[in-house]
Amino acid sequence: MHIVDGALSSAVVIGGAVLTVGGLALGVRSLTLEKLPAAGILSATFFVASLIHVPIGPSSVHLIMNGLAGLVLGWSAFPALFVGLLLQAVFFGFGGLTVLGVNTLNIALPAVLIGLVCQQGIRHANPRIAALWGALAGSGAIALTTLCVAVALVLSGQEFIPAAKLVFLSHIPIMVIEGLVCAAAVYLIRRVNPTVFASLEGHPA
Amino acid sequence: MKRLFSTSIVALLVLAGSASSALAHKVIASGYAAGDKIEGEVGFSNGDPAINTTISITAPDGRTLGEVQTNAEGLFTFTPTEAVPHIFRGDLGAGHVAEFRMEVSELPRALQGGTAGAAPAPTASTASGPAVTASPDAAALQAMIAQAVRDEMRPLKHEIAAYKEHNSLQTILGGIGYILGLVGISFYWLAHQRLKKQPPQ
Repeated sequence: MHIVDGALSSAVVIGGAVLTVGGLALGVRSLTLEKLPAAGILSATFFVASLIHVPIGPSSVHLIMNGLAGLVLGWSAFPALFVGLLLQAVFFGFGGLTVLGVNTLNIALPAVLIGLVCQQGIRHANPRIAALWGALAGSGAIALTTLCVAVALVLSGQEFIPAAKLVFLSHIPIMVIEGLVCAAAVYLIRRVNPTVFASLEGHPA
Repeated sequence: MKRLFSTSIVALLVLAGSASSALAHKVIASGYAAGDKIEGEVGFSNGDPAINTTISITAPDGRTLGEVQTNAEGLFTFTPTEAVPHIFRGDLGAGHVAEFRMEVSELPRALQGGTAGAAPAPTASTASGPAVTASPDAAALQAMIAQAVRDEMRPLKHEIAAYKEHNSLQTILGGIGYILGLVGISFYWLAHQRLKKQPPQ
């Protein structure tokens, strides 16, 4: 999921950085006092989630958790995920500093889009249907992220179909896991504190 | 809900079988001189080797020096012919690129000695190099010792590589600390802004 330094052409790296700066600006603008604790927690979740390797078959995958960030934070997912990615790059060498823009875009843009699409769904009166929307958000965000990664690779000169296929197929287990995690999270939030989603939306910047 | 959960688990297990590609974030690649060859290793940080990956070798000026394939253990050997820095690059797919550079000083010793720019005539080294060409027995012994040392070192190298990839709890806690700090600073800033907008009565 983290594209490393040197894998992309410089045009893609610069383009990703510019778009990410735009996303960050939008995200910081929509970051309110009420949203800030949630942004911090989701940033930390994202930072740690990638260290939890789930051994599946011959390989292992790690969680990303960008769907949940998008659902709760909207555009503010950009700064939250950016901070997580930056720390991962500096501390663990995941990805790299030059491709930080592209990686942020690949992970945060799907989060924002999914957040917009599933916003209504997770507020459904029936918590179970809301949880289904949560599952859709969790796995949809990963699917979109793999698509973004594939596009970034293609723009750097790789063939689309093999690149997309490889990234997409290898992330199917994560899609399933994140779908379940996200559904559980939405279900829990709806049961325990249904006002969370509403209160975070109530104060647009 | 329960049924949904159990069907999801089944689906997960089925899908798990179909996922074959290694999914580590980091690619590890390294090389070292072994006799008159360069031995290298390419793999993922979780220990999976990069199998049948094409490694292209280029000079700093962009010339292609050669191309090799890794074997089932992610190992490759390359026989360098020029005393220039070698850049090894392998594309493992899905945004994983392994690249490392070997300076002239890291190349096999036989290569460093003679060539300074132009390729040497094969006779030149035998004529002018009494230090290089000792008796064949000594050369064979040296090669054997080098081989033995390499074999002994290999597990150690693996261990060091694995150790470097190890993420300690301190690092993780440090990262979380940074996030907490950033949240604190943002809190301060946002609260400050809000106070400026609505001064306390």
